Amino acid sequence: MRLRDLFTADVVKLDLQSEAKDDLLKELVALLGLDEKSEAILFKTLKRRENLGSTGIGRGIAIPHCRSLVVNRLRLAYGRKPSGVDFNAIDGAPVHNFFLIVAPPLEVSNQYLPVLGKIAQFAKDSEVPERLLDLDTAEQFLELLDRKAP
Amino acid sequence: MTALTVDAQLTALLEIQDMRAKVRELREDSGVGRLVEADHFGIDPEVAADTLEVRIAELVAELALPIRRRYERIAGHVHRVVVPVIGGICYGCFVSVPTATAGEMDPNAELQSCEHCGRFLYFLP
Repeated sequence: MRLRDLFTADVVKLDLQSEAKDDLLKELVALLGLDEKSEAILFKTLKRRENLGSTGIGRGIAIPHCRSLVVNRLRLAYGRKPSGVDFNAIDGAPVHNFFLIVAPPLEVSNQYLPVLGKIAQFAKDSEVPERLLDLDTAEQFLELLDRKAP
Repeated sequence: MTALTVDAQLTALLEIQDMRAKVRELREDSGVGRLVEADHFGIDPEVAADTLEVRIAELVAELALPIRRRYERIAGHVHRVVVPVIGGICYGCFVSVPTATAGEMDPNAELQSCEHCGRFLYFLP
């Protein structure tokens, strides 16, 4: 399973507008193109997960994630906020890069947790935070995944 | 405590179901989900699961009495009280949902249950 195959350019946004954590989660959820009710549920579920402990794993990267009934397959999105947002990250630093992962409660392919682990590994690569901030296009993001998470 | 509106009941049931899924993941001994949350995100799985269970109980208490009773009855013997309907199939029992139910303009505008297994339904496009 390659991370590259799970993203498409339309779920990549390199210029997130939100300035606050909640707004940013909503902006990420909007990338998935769900209906209004489903977006609201998904936001609540993500928020509830964040309340257990931030998904900001440090070095400017957060991985908001949850399982939810409102999706029928594994969905991922990536957003970048170059100026950063306070996300209560583990290192206290602002977060610039957000990987959203949402999966249905039952998933035939069972990819959710392996993907979550793989993105966490990808984020730990010492070069990745800087490379992400250098991106100009969604295609470059996909190429980076190809190189760093083959 | 004020009971939730019909629409809010479905929302609450979906939230409850999502939280129940997370609790199962966190409580599963040697489960990958439990390890991922602890190792990558520094979460204490037991504390997190306890926190969610408190919130689940609060939300269940806010359900209207008939819905709460049905919820408790179903939750007593299956993990998934609310299930998606995809392509007209109930993903709780995998039996077709009647067209009249599935075909409404917005089938999620009202709280609906599977005639076969009794689970609450959430219709996905």
